[in-house]
Amino acid sequence: MADKSSDPVALWQKMIGEMEKGFNAFANQTMSSPEFSKAMNQAGGATTGAQRQFGEFMEKYLLSMNLPSRAQMVGMAERLQNIEGQINEIRAMLQQMNAGAATPGFGAPRPPRTKRPPPSSAPPSSGEQK
Amino acid sequence: MNAPSGLDLADIPERIQSEVQRAIQRSIKGVEYFSTSGPTLGSTPKDILHARGTMNLYHYRPLSDEVYRVPVLIVMATTNRGYILDMVPGQSFIEFLLKRGYDVYMLDWTAPRPEEKSLRMEDYVLDFIPDCVRRVREDSGEQDVSVIGYCFGGVLSLLYGSIFNDGPMKNLICFTTPIDFREMKLFSNFSDRRYFDVDGLVDSVGNVPPEMILSSFEMLRPASRVASQIQLWENIWNDEFVKSYRMFDRWATDTLPLAGEYFRTITKDLMWDNKLYNGTMTVGGRKADIADIKVPILHAVAEHDHIVPYEAAKHLIAKVGSQDKEEVMLKGGHVSLVAGANAVKRLWPKLDSWLGGRSI
Repeated sequence: MADKSSDPVALWQKMIGEMEKGFNAFANQTMSSPEFSKAMNQAGGATTGAQRQFGEFMEKYLLSMNLPSRAQMVGMAERLQNIEGQINEIRAMLQQMNAGAATPGFGAPRPPRTKRPPPSSAPPSSGEQK
Repeated sequence: MNAPSGLDLADIPERIQSEVQRAIQRSIKGVEYFSTSGPTLGSTPKDILHARGTMNLYHYRPLSDEVYRVPVLIVMATTNRGYILDMVPGQSFIEFLLKRGYDVYMLDWTAPRPEEKSLRMEDYVLDFIPDCVRRVREDSGEQDVSVIGYCFGGVLSLLYGSIFNDGPMKNLICFTTPIDFREMKLFSNFSDRRYFDVDGLVDSVGNVPPEMILSSFEMLRPASRVASQIQLWENIWNDEFVKSYRMFDRWATDTLPLAGEYFRTITKDLMWDNKLYNGTMTVGGRKADIADIKVPILHAVAEHDHIVPYEAAKHLIAKVGSQDKEEVMLKGGHVSLVAGANAVKRLWPKLDSWLGGRSI
């Protein structure tokens, strides 16, 4: 078997690994500068501003097309969320009512809370460990 | 006889044959890769104990004949899905805990909806976690609860433990939890208060989109995505590698949006003013100083964590008020500390040996 230092596949993998490390280190160094933060946030801010303007335009467009606006959809989502919450509450109540039934999951007999750790894993009496 | 490069000439035909076979396998498996879905994740049997908006509380069904008295509540990071701790059978932290006799609950998150953009830090710390703890106590019939927080779930658990320091939390375990946010150098630079208009962002977008969260994580190691795809192609003949790649890749890209007001507080109080480290943090007007935490605490950190560097996490143990406290540094990165083959050998047994004796 060829040793790893002369195996072309191993050399290729090593090269990729080294390139990854090198590029990450270089990028991290670049991204640590205040100039990078300024440029990144300026670009991000411009994008966010454009998105907001586009959103406002879409709101007006949807209104003119007699389609529901975002606010109306959010309102519907809130109502659906309330309904979901109520369904979950009902489900929980039903599960509690079935607590006596021997089905898996809710209501199934639970194991006793008597487990003790093996002797070797008892906690130290007190004190800080590091 | 050796070639000048040191390559054993006798091995060359065998090596060529092996590479040709792998090349054929790559072609076949490459087609398979794109035509099949990945393994099913998060399949350990569980029940939804409670769901409210972005919050889900699960109870996992027991897998042992007897359990420890004290139940365990896992608080997941708000940026990611909880199934990182429940990948597939044999590689599931949840399954491990259940088989070792713990009664396990998880507070997991779904994407906050647009109308949940106003969720604040106090909703998470003073409402969601206490609500879940109360429900765990009711469901288990026990007064004490051990809490495990992963990454930012650890931060939320610390804040909860600081404020509710007279119980019912019995033990606290934090995985890779930052407290000194100045030391998260790149995140700190990305959110430099001179240039980052967090108010403008939150007021514009409501919830912070997952693409932005994912990009900020990926920018920490910008070459790694390409390198991992090259690695995938090289190893696509290897079913185990592909399975593991798909699990982790799916989870890593399944990032959650963050509620806008919550993100605003994280940026201002933690990233800018470093209040958790300085002991000046308040949540909903209530002081949250980790020096007030007195319960036994274990903090597990990863040696090669690029998201939460050790410098950002190392003061946690020194600053909490507990007498019984321990930090353990293990090999691995931010994710491989808690999931995958590395975690199976290192973190999970360590956690079991620490928590078992404290769960009776």
